Amino acid sequence: MEKVLVWNNPSKALFSAIAVVGLAFALCVMVYGMESIAPGVHDAFHDFRHTIGMPCH
Amino acid sequence: MISKDGLAADLAAGVLWGWLSLFVNALTGVFTPEAGFVHDLGSFGLAGVINAFVAGGLLSLFMGHLPGRSVMLKAVTVSVILWLVLRAGAMMLSHIDPERYHVATWESLQGLLLAVLMGVLIGFGRRLVAGRRVPAHG
Repeated sequence: MEKVLVWNNPSKALFSAIAVVGLAFALCVMVYGMESIAPGVHDAFHDFRHTIGMPCH
Repeated sequence: MISKDGLAADLAAGVLWGWLSLFVNALTGVFTPEAGFVHDLGSFGLAGVINAFVAGGLLSLFMGHLPGRSVMLKAVTVSVILWLVLRAGAMMLSHIDPERYHVATWESLQGLLLAVLMGVLIGFGRRLVAGRRVPAHG
């Protein structure tokens, strides 16, 4: 079975780490509604943000 | 590490969790949606996928370091910790800019319960994948 997140292989571990960190950053932008980083993200995920209990206006 | 099937299970759990969040919120009525149903179906699904990818990645990373033997319990722990970290960041933003970020207690409580639900779904998906990997005997 192909492993897609492998921590003991340097190149795959780097790719995996970049993917997780990149999407973790995207998650932060989304849950905090940072318009300055991604225009439109505030309105696009406004209802989701409230639903999961993140403070909003 | 995680297999392709495990990653697919995490992402499927994420979409399901996003849609269940929409459904749970409609049931509880804690927050009245401002966007349309179709828009929310897309945004909640996408947000669920991103959330599940991060939670699943962290689960794979810290699997060996988390207490307990149950994958389900570990997934719930990671999911709740991720939510608490995000919530702590939101509290800081609320402290810096209270006009912009309002804290709502019932929404927070719902969010915490949804974080538990996400952990359950990821744990269930991982269990399913692990079960499929066990060769049949007899």
